[in-house]
Amino acid sequence: MATDIILPKIGFSMTEGVLAEWLVADGATVTEGQPIFSLESDKSTNEVESPAAGVIKITGVAGDTYEVGAIIGTIE
Amino acid sequence: MATTSFATGANAAQPDAATQIEIYRRMNLIMQNDEASRKIIRSGRLMMPYYSQRGQEVIPSAISVNLNDDDKICTIYRGIHDMLAKGVPLRALWAEIAGKVTGTCKGKGGPMHITHPASGAILTTGIVGSSMPIANGLAWAAKLDKTRQVTIANFGDGASNIGAFHESLNLASLWKLPVIFVCQNNRFAEHTRYENGTSVDQISKRAAGYGMPGITVDGNDPYEMYAVANEAINRARDGEGPTLIEAMTFRFFGHVFGDDDFYMTKEEKSAAMAADPVPLYRAKLIANGVATEETLAALETDIAAQIADAIEFALASAPPPLEELTRDVYAEQGVA
Repeated sequence: MATDIILPKIGFSMTEGVLAEWLVADGATVTEGQPIFSLESDKSTNEVESPAAGVIKITGVAGDTYEVGAIIGTIE
Repeated sequence: MATTSFATGANAAQPDAATQIEIYRRMNLIMQNDEASRKIIRSGRLMMPYYSQRGQEVIPSAISVNLNDDDKICTIYRGIHDMLAKGVPLRALWAEIAGKVTGTCKGKGGPMHITHPASGAILTTGIVGSSMPIANGLAWAAKLDKTRQVTIANFGDGASNIGAFHESLNLASLWKLPVIFVCQNNRFAEHTRYENGTSVDQISKRAAGYGMPGITVDGNDPYEMYAVANEAINRARDGEGPTLIEAMTFRFFGHVFGDDDFYMTKEEKSAAMAADPVPLYRAKLIANGVATEETLAALETDIAAQIADAIEFALASAPPPLEELTRDVYAEQGVA
C-alpha cells in the first residue's frame, strides 16, 4: 500500500512552503523516520522525515512552492 | 527560595516506590505522546498549531500523583502534558486533536480546548492568564460544597504579568480557596525572555503581596516537585488556603512547533536538552533499585502501543456531523 508524502504545516501561520531539496533520489529505498526532503517556510527550514519504509516515488519539484497538504510523492 | 517555611530534607514528603514508578510512567507517557505529535505533524497527516511540552514532563507528573480523580485542573495551550498526567484517556484526546466526533469535545474544540470533566481536566484555554480565575471558581465551589477537592491552576511565566494573575491570587488568599497556582516557568513568554518582561527575579516572590506561601522549586526534579506539591495540596485540602509554586523548567521545542528559536542561544538550549529530565530520572530509578530496566522497558512499550492505538482510532473516526455545529453552543430548543 502506498503512503502519500504530504507537505506538512509546521508553524502557526504557515499556508505554503518551498520544497527546497530532496535528500534522497527518486526510486531510492528509505526507512521510516529518515529525512527525505527539506522544507522552507516563512519561519524556518525543517528536514521532513519519511512517513513509511519503502521505495520512494518523487513527484514534487525541488525549488517549487506548494500549499500545505499537497502530495509531493509516495512511498511504496 | 520560599517566602514561608516548607518542609525540607528528611521532613519533606517522599513518594514511595510505586509512586516513583507512577511518576515515571506519566513522564514517559507525556514524552512519547509529544514525540508522536511532532512526528505526525511533520508527516502532514494532522495539521494544527502545536505547543510542545517536551522538557516540562516532571511538573504535572509529580503533582498529579497527589491528586484524586475528582480534583480539578485548569491549563493553557501548552497543556497536553497536564491533561495526560491527570488521566485524560488517549483515544478521546487524540480524536479531539484530530477534530473527530469521538473526541473529548466531539471534535469541536481541538488541541487548544481539551476538556474532560470525568478525569477532572476541566479547562484548556488559549488566553494567557485565564486559567486562574476559572480555577478560583472551581475551588470556591468545592469550598462551599465542603468536598475537600482541590484545583490546580497551571500557567506560564508570562501569565504572571497579566492582571488576572494578581486578581486571582488576591481573591484566593482572601477567601482561603483550595487552589494551587502552578507557574511552569520555562523562561520564555512566547518569544520574550523572562527578564525582558518580568519585574522580579522570582515569580514566587509575588505571593508575599497577597499573603500566601510562595516557593520556587526545580520543576525538573521529581522528588522536589512531589514534596512541595504534596504539602501545598494537603494545606489546600485542610482549608488553609492557596499556594503559589514556581516550577523552573525549559521547553525544548520553542513556543509553537516550527519556531526557529531566534530568541534563545544555542548554548542554553543544548544545555537544557542535555539535562533532559526524563532519561535522568529513569537512570536514577534504576540506580536506586526502585525499578529494573525490564520493568521500565515494558512500561514504555505498553505506552507506545497505547499511543499508536489512539492515533489509529482518531484517524479512523468520523468528523462531527453538521447537526453538531450548533449543539453545545446554544440552548436546545424546548429547554427552558
